[in-house]
This record gives sequence, structure tokens and C-alpha cells, in this order.
Amino acid sequence: MQMGLESPDFQVYRGSEPPRFVSQAELECAKVLDYYGIPWEYEPRTFVLEEDEDGRVLEAFTPDFYLPEQDLYVELTVMKQSLVTRKNRKLRKLRARYPDVKVKLFYKRDLERLAQHFHLDLAS
Amino acid sequence: MYLSAEELAARVRELGAEIGRDYAGAEPLLVGSLKASFVFLADLSRAMPIVHGLDFVELAGYGSAQMGGHEQIRVLKDLDVDVRDRDVVVVEDVVDTGLTLNYLVRTLELRSPRTIAAATLLDRPYRRLVDDLPVRYVGFVVPDELFVGYGFDLDERWRQLPDLRLLRLS
Repeated sequence: MQMGLESPDFQVYRGSEPPRFVSQAELECAKVLDYYGIPWEYEPRTFVLEEDEDGRVLEAFTPDFYLPEQDLYVELTVMKQSLVTRKNRKLRKLRARYPDVKVKLFYKRDLERLAQHFHLDLAS
Repeated sequence: MYLSAEELAARVRELGAEIGRDYAGAEPLLVGSLKASFVFLADLSRAMPIVHGLDFVELAGYGSAQMGGHEQIRVLKDLDVDVRDRDVVVVEDVVDTGLTLNYLVRTLELRSPRTIAAATLLDRPYRRLVDDLPVRYVGFVVPDELFVGYGFDLDERWRQLPDLRLLRLS
């Protein structure tokens, strides 16, 4: 766990190593999934999106969460719309290269709705 | 305004008739998930032309005062009636990620109802994280916006408005 972030005792975390969140928003998302009893893993897989002709990785993408019961990767975003657009572009690339992989963006607003209020401070 | 009282009433009447047809000869139990669904549930119940039961549950939402520091979801108000061998229709105000409905359905399934389905006034299927939900009756598929009125609130205000209004936060 990164300095400054609390380390809850997660109930339905399915990873083998303790998660090392890089932001408060990721921690909050993990707590939400845990709260609702949805088994989750943290960054279990990196997807290569682009390689050069020698096979060197030019672009890769590691979704924040994987929900094994849903077989779904989740990328959390609390960014402004322009950066969300960039993430969406990565997701489109991922879907094109890995058509069998399910991946979705999880927005700050989704977290806020689950928290039943609209003033969550998820800046990180 | 997003949906007028008349538009809401017309769609709820259609849903009530549809549920009435699907459960003809049965006596389903409508289970309202408090609190925002109470207006929809009241109208839906009166739009159903068959005998049915009513009950309510309330779950502590994540981050709410009622959560009280608990790290696992808990039931604030449980059902008063036994659902064993009953046809249960969970009535929701809105389904988006599906996390809350998923928990509720899994909890009710442990009590051995005969069937379980869900009716929701609003749906955001494109926000779903949990897909295998028994959402059978949908009032309106809505955009990713905030709404108040017809039971929906912001900090407990505006639930009483008869229509559904878009809320823009500054």
C-alpha cells in the first residue's frame, strides 16, 4: 500500500498480492466493490496494444480492476472529459485487439451515485 | 423537465398492465427498495390489475451516514413477509452499475422465492458492471444525468415533485 493511503481489510479481494493503489479514487472504488460483495482483483493483467516490427511494446494498457464473476475489466476514471476521451481511445484499441475481453470505464459519477451523494472528494 | 407527470403516469400504467399479464393467476409480491422507489412503487401497484402484496427493504448505501463505518453492506429495513415460494418483483428507482440490485437479488434468492424479477423506472444499461440481473421491466432508458422529482432527491430534497427533472450541478 502506498504511503498515505489506508489499508482496509478487504473481504472479497481475489488477488494474490496486497493491492498497491496509486490514488485515493482507486482505493475508494475497491472499497465500493468490497462493500457490495463483488469479488475483485487489482491490475492483474497488462494488455499490449501496439508493438513495433521487432516485437517491442509501444503501447500497453493495464485496467485498474478485474471482476472475475463478471469476467470484466474495469478502468476507473475521475479525470476531466478530454482525458476520458484518451482513455476511451485506449479502450477501443483494446477491444479491437482483444475482442473477447470485456472492459468498461467506471466513472467518478458511478462512485458518487453509489455513495448517494455528489460531493465525494476523489481528487488524487 | 425531463419527463412530465403525464409521461411518467402513462409508462407506469403500461408497466403495471404488463406485469399484471405476466403474473395473471399468481399473487406476486412487489418489494420496493427504499427510498427513491416509493413513488414509482405506489403508482405501479395501483396500475396492476391483479392481487399482489407489497413490502419494502432498505440497504445502507456506501458512504451514507447509515453505513456507520461498516465495510460490508447491511440491511436497514428487512422484509416483513416470507418470500418462500412467492413470485417476487423487486421495484427499483434506477439501475445503473447494478451493484445494489445484485446484492438485493442474491440476498432474496437465499430465501427461496419461486421466481424473482426486477422492475425499474429508470435504467442506464450502458453503466452496468453486473450484467446477469433479472431486470425484466424498464420504464425509461435515460442518459447519464442527475434527476430529481418523482421520488428522486438531492440531499433529501425535491422527492415530492410530480415530474422528473434534470439536475445540473455547478
